[in-house]
Amino acid sequence: MLDGASGELGVTRANWFQSGLVAATALASGGILAGGFAALASSSPTHPGDVEVLNFALAFEELQASVYASALRGLKLTGDWLQFAQVVGEHEHEHVAFVRQALGSAAHPAPRLELTHHPVTLVDFQRLAAELEDLGVALYNGQAGNVTPPTLAAVAEIVSVEARHAAWARDLLGEVPAPVPSDVPADITQVRAKLTQIGVSVG
Amino acid sequence: MADPTALPQWLERFDRDGALAEAACQLTTTRRSLLGLAAAGAGATLLADPAGAAAAGASRSDVSILNYALGLEYIQASFYTEAERLGALHGPLAEQAHVVGAHERAHVAAFRKVLGAAAIKEPTFNFQGVTEDPAAFRRTAVALEDLSVAAYKYQAPRIRSPAYLQAAIAIHSVEARHAAWIRRLAGVLPAATAFDKPLAPPAVNALVASTHFVSTPPQMTGHAAPKFTG
Repeated sequence: MLDGASGELGVTRANWFQSGLVAATALASGGILAGGFAALASSSPTHPGDVEVLNFALAFEELQASVYASALRGLKLTGDWLQFAQVVGEHEHEHVAFVRQALGSAAHPAPRLELTHHPVTLVDFQRLAAELEDLGVALYNGQAGNVTPPTLAAVAEIVSVEARHAAWARDLLGEVPAPVPSDVPADITQVRAKLTQIGVSVG
Repeated sequence: MADPTALPQWLERFDRDGALAEAACQLTTTRRSLLGLAAAGAGATLLADPAGAAAAGASRSDVSILNYALGLEYIQASFYTEAERLGALHGPLAEQAHVVGAHERAHVAAFRKVLGAAAIKEPTFNFQGVTEDPAAFRRTAVALEDLSVAAYKYQAPRIRSPAYLQAAIAIHSVEARHAAWIRRLAGVLPAATAFDKPLAPPAVNALVASTHFVSTPPQMTGHAAPKFTG
């Protein structure tokens, strides 16, 4: 978990945590909830709530992946924003693959989420990325109560990564990365409305 | 596998007088009370509506999970509060400690209010000097925030009450924002991997114990009666 930090986080008083956390993560115990997507993918979900939420998540992750792919292709990103788009774009790509695999034959991305126009300026992209990451957190948090525990365990592995992305984008924009002590969830109606507002057609 | 909802050892150490165990036994665990709570708390976050849950009662396992979360929040709140008070941080790091500290204190207050008499008491801490040095503070904050994300992630699917689940999941993502923020300040990737992994209580407890941050109050250790100097 802290592997990327090994250079900066050297041998110090805090080293107990760094080495210990990596080891402990590797030893995470078994059980139905411990497998995350690996466990979920072994049997396609049948619970209606799981299928619906995962399909919405699939559409959302595909939308995010397309935003980063488009920016990396069409904008001359440099420095921090280039790194952000490369790293986060790859994460969204992995999220798409895992959610699709988890859904198996139940994968029917709905709704279709498409940008009405792709970001043409750096500022367009920055705003869109930050808003979508915040919205992703609100979307997943809002659905936590509508899925079974194994599916919740799986999407919980994604939502905190979306929150990291959101904080990262906010920090790059000079905004407070964590603006409130408790993230406000959004239901599907609210998510659809927000998507429409930021230039995404919701089919 | 150990009972995932059992009170972790490092929390049991805080409960020397048995107040938590006793309170947990008194709480109702009927289906009806859980459903009543769900209806009353639907859509409300812990922080927006902190009063409703305690009165309605909660399952014993939920009380354990909430106290476990409270324990983690106690550590974080004290860590940031002390760092800010000692004044060794400046610039962006000081701002991070100020904002995040306020969040962690809000989390503590919310859990304490929900748990009422069942809330574990705050232990005393000895942060071993890491709150007095910016570099040590930064490294420790990264570790604490990443640990917190992993600990909440393990517990979330095990929470029975929809209202508590909503509250915990909304705090879980804020801890991830904190983690990303301090990682940026530490010069490491805010989001290192596409999936964040959960961490079970034994591993969390071992890590917390290894810090020696939690110092049991002297009058609660050993067999001797406390010495009063007043």
